[in-house]
Amino acid sequence: MTALLETRGLGRAFGALQAVAGVSLAVEPGEVRAVIGPNGAGKTTLFHLISGLLAPTSGRVLFRGDDVTALPAPARCRRGISRTFQITSIFPELSVLENVRIAVQLRSGGNFRLVGGRATLEATEQRARASLGSLGLLGRAEEPASTLPHGDQRLLEIAMAVAQEPELLLLDEPTQGLSPEDTVATVAVIRQVARERKLTIILVEHDMDVVFDLADRISVLHFGQLIAEGTPDQIRANADVQRAYLGGAE
Amino acid sequence: MANLGEQLLNALTLAGLLFLVSAGLSLVFGILRVVNFAHGVFYMLGAYLGYTTVMLTGWFWPALVIVPPVVGVLGALLESSTLRFIYRRPPIYQLLLTFGLALILEEALRILYGPTAKGIDPPAYLQGAFALGTLLYPRYRLFVIGLGLVVAVAVWLFLRKTRAGLVIRAVAQNSEMADCLGADVARVRTLVFGAACALAGLGGVAAAPMTTAYLGMGIGVIVDAFVVVVIGGLGSIGGSIAGSLIVGAAQTWGAFYLPETAMVIMYAVMGAILIFRPWGLFGEEE
Amino acid sequence: MRGTRALAAVALVALAVVPWVAARHQLSLLTDLLIYGLFALSLDLIMGYTGMVSFGHAAYFGLGAYASALVLIHFAQPVPVALLAGALLAGAVALPVGWFSTRATGIYFAMLTLAFAQFLYTVAYKWRDLTGGSDGIAGVPKTALFWGGPSLASPQAFYALVAACVVLSLVLCRAVVRSPFGHALEAIRENERRFMSLGRDPRPFKLAVFVIAAVFAGLAGALFAPFRGFASPEVMFWVFSGQGLMMVIMGGIGTLVGPILGAMVFILIQEVLSSYTEHWMILTGVVFVLMVIFLPDGLVGTARRLRARV
Repeated sequence: MTALLETRGLGRAFGALQAVAGVSLAVEPGEVRAVIGPNGAGKTTLFHLISGLLAPTSGRVLFRGDDVTALPAPARCRRGISRTFQITSIFPELSVLENVRIAVQLRSGGNFRLVGGRATLEATEQRARASLGSLGLLGRAEEPASTLPHGDQRLLEIAMAVAQEPELLLLDEPTQGLSPEDTVATVAVIRQVARERKLTIILVEHDMDVVFDLADRISVLHFGQLIAEGTPDQIRANADVQRAYLGGAE
Repeated sequence: MANLGEQLLNALTLAGLLFLVSAGLSLVFGILRVVNFAHGVFYMLGAYLGYTTVMLTGWFWPALVIVPPVVGVLGALLESSTLRFIYRRPPIYQLLLTFGLALILEEALRILYGPTAKGIDPPAYLQGAFALGTLLYPRYRLFVIGLGLVVAVAVWLFLRKTRAGLVIRAVAQNSEMADCLGADVARVRTLVFGAACALAGLGGVAAAPMTTAYLGMGIGVIVDAFVVVVIGGLGSIGGSIAGSLIVGAAQTWGAFYLPETAMVIMYAVMGAILIFRPWGLFGEEE
Repeated sequence: MRGTRALAAVALVALAVVPWVAARHQLSLLTDLLIYGLFALSLDLIMGYTGMVSFGHAAYFGLGAYASALVLIHFAQPVPVALLAGALLAGAVALPVGWFSTRATGIYFAMLTLAFAQFLYTVAYKWRDLTGGSDGIAGVPKTALFWGGPSLASPQAFYALVAACVVLSLVLCRAVVRSPFGHALEAIRENERRFMSLGRDPRPFKLAVFVIAAVFAGLAGALFAPFRGFASPEVMFWVFSGQGLMMVIMGGIGTLVGPILGAMVFILIQEVLSSYTEHWMILTGVVFVLMVIFLPDGLVGTARRLRARV
């Protein structure tokens, strides 16, 4: 089975700093892969390299077997990679519904009509509402996104990514800043959405409970390099990983 | 050949003035992330205040020493009374606010000094020409080159080698962290802004004997300064130096060989940088 | 929504009735205000909806004015032809300028637009043969509505033309803003990186709205030339661009109709202030700075927000 996402020797340098170095990994369709590592390990940079916001200084990115290394972020998104950001990145003054609707419009590849377009608007709104529904945000559809509490904003970001019906979903610290209750709820939502829509997920996380709960396999980054990869049990027992974290989970 | 030497020195003179204006702009933008449209007006203010100082004291040197701090203090006052409210808002408001300030300052200068240009004579022993081999070059311009060089080295040393410079660079990298570590971020901002204005004011005083003090100086220089900052990369003193040299050279040679199209060359260079390397030659890719 | 419809109806009726009710110089003033209003409206498209601050928008007003002046003087065409010429020239120049400028964002974009506008201003200033240099082009006539049609020389007739253009432009701009294209613009304004990560390059959108805004600014300039009877470099100068920004802020950024009102208020304040003191420019600047700090939503924006709270 060809991997859905594959990186070969992926690296990114910023001047003298090698943020990511020689990372080769392969994620199978339907898998939930967690990427963990201490702060500064290069996880978000890796995400930028996979989603296309940054160009690598070495190595390649393959999606569904095609080399997408030269493609910029918008093109990769249209191929089926959606993502959320470490710091919530939504459209603050637009309403919750408008946020998701725009996500649908941008992905559908349709032309953006200057005048008219009433029918397309309604169709995209249907899809947007469906996505909001699966994340439990339908009740706040008309409110400005900036008025949502932090946890709901993170859910909104996931709704936007999911509404694009991607094949690969990149979640950058989805539970960051969430209370324990919200964390449990978000994890449940992620699991359900992944199952419903047959998504492949790569997530960056610091919360080890979430990681061991959701992940099928774990990749561990340290100083930009891949130091270990395996099932949650294998990683838990791995001495290198323990050393990297200076004594275990945070 | 003497011609080439003269051109080179002209380019260096222009680069010196440009550096004085653009270094401050680059610092303010790179460190404070503030877009200061009024920066050019501080340059103009320096020129006019220099004129007044010369009129009052009869000497040029006091202008060089007194005016920059005065301009700096004025800049710091403006920052702490108006810009402070705008930092958390989208950058569009900083642009608009500093634009409004520029308009007010320019009008104030028009009211105070009237519409005609004000000339200053350079001090006596900087008048006339200096013999460099076969080339006779105006002494004052050599002075400007020297001034630009001295200030460039001083600013670079300050940022790299002093404790205060380190604090400033820390605030530039991560203001929240610097705040937690005890740096008074608001004060650093005001100080840097004031210092940047003082540099621009110094540039204005230095320019006045060459270009006279005239309304519209501000706008002219700010476009050039931004070209320098685009080319050199914001927040980088090295970038400001390199950018100033490139723009100074391009404008000097352009004005000589292709007078009408000197500006077009500038925009072409800037356009090329924006397309291929938008973070400038020395800036950091974000 | 019903309140807005009622207001719009009242405004339309007022506009229609004014020629019969107002004195000659009042009608003239209103025509002037509407032309500036159209200029401010065009600026709101890029400023309010797309979040791009342009310091060089006056250049397109100026291009429209010069094109219109030349067409009317040298070819004696009906005014609508001159309007078309002005709008097209502005749009044509905006295409390359916009292509370059939209490669950058924020302050870089603003400075690029300023640099290009200054360049165009210098061209207008120096190309004496075509533009009349610093004197500009004088004696621009108000010709007819169409070939063999009624003359637009009377204040009432020209006012009707201007009012019709402004109302039509407002309707068109509203349609643009409410279309899927308009929604995309707002998303770009809110979070450009997010927009990119959701699947589209924002640049073509920004270029398109830049050109559209230039076309409407050009239309305003093309109306200005025959109305005032001249075209001169001042209307391309950065100060006028800045005044446009002030009009948009005062009226209410991102409301379309706000900037039209803002332009009117701005010009009226200047008229009143300048009869008291010759330093009205500074006072306007101070008012503007205060508004940016304390009333960033402008008149219409603040009114809308207050009404939403009630």
